Amino acid sequence: MSWETHIADATVEIFSTMLMMEVSPRPPLTERIKTHQDSVTGMVGMAGIYKGMLAIHAPSSVSMNITGNFLGLEVDEVNDDVKDAMGELANMLAGSIKAKLSDNSKDIQLSIPSAVCGDSYSLDYQPQQGCSMVPFESTAGQFLVELQLEQQT
Amino acid sequence: MGKKVLIIDDSSTMRKIVTRSLRQAGLDFDTILEAGDGQEALQLLAKENVDIILSDINMPNMDGIEFLRQKSANAAIKGIPVVMITTEAGADILAEAKSLGAKGSIKKPFTPEQVSEVLGGLM
Repeated sequence: MSWETHIADATVEIFSTMLMMEVSPRPPLTERIKTHQDSVTGMVGMAGIYKGMLAIHAPSSVSMNITGNFLGLEVDEVNDDVKDAMGELANMLAGSIKAKLSDNSKDIQLSIPSAVCGDSYSLDYQPQQGCSMVPFESTAGQFLVELQLEQQT
Repeated sequence: MGKKVLIIDDSSTMRKIVTRSLRQAGLDFDTILEAGDGQEALQLLAKENVDIILSDINMPNMDGIEFLRQKSANAAIKGIPVVMITTEAGADILAEAKSLGAKGSIKKPFTPEQVSEVLGGLM
C-alpha cells in the first residue's frame, strides 16, 4: 500500500471519527507546494529509524471551520485553539503513520506538535527520499496533508 | 459524593474533546479537572482527590510514562486508576504503561462509545 493511501485512510478516519466531517482525497500532487497563503500549518517531526515530518496545511477559513467542528463551537479568528487543533490533527495523523512504520514505539519518536500561521510563509525541507502531498476536499474547502519521510541506515 | 476525573493532555483541544466524549458517553462525572502535563497533574493530585485519570503519553515537561512512574511511587495516589489516551498505540509502550499501573488504553481517534467501553469497567 502506498504512503498516499495510508495518508488518505488515516485522514478520512480521523475526520469522520473526531470531527464528524466527511473528507475526500484527491490525486496526490506531483510537485510539492512550499509556500502557503493566509493559512495555518500543524506539524509533527519524526526521528529514529525514519526521520521526517507530517504536516496538515489549510487556508485560515478552512482551519477555523475544522476547529469549530473539533470543539463544537463557532470560531471566527485564527487563535490559539485553531493552532492547537491543527497541531493535534497532525499528531493523530503522525501517530497513524508511525504505527504503519514499526510495531516498536521506541523505533520512531514523534515531536510535540507545533503550528505556524500567516499571510504568506514557506516551509523548507530537503527530502532525500519520500515526499507525499495529498489534497483533500471537505465541505469547508480544500486542505493538504504532507508526509516527508526518510529511512535511516 | 460525585465522581471526579482528571484529564492530562498538553493539547487544550484534546482535553475539550475528551470532556465532550465523557458527557456524550453518559459517564457520571460531577467534576472534570485538567492538567497540561504529568508535572502539573502531580501538583494537582497533591491537593485534589480524583476517582480516575485519563492521560496522554507524548507531552512536554513530563510525559505520561514518567507520570505513571512517579504516581506509582506515591502511596497517596498510586491506587487511582489511569487510562492512557494516545496516538502512541505500540504494544511495547502500552505494555510499559501497564507495568506501571495503567488499567487500559484508548487510541486516538476515538468515539464516545469506545471511551464508555473502557471506562465503564473501571467505575
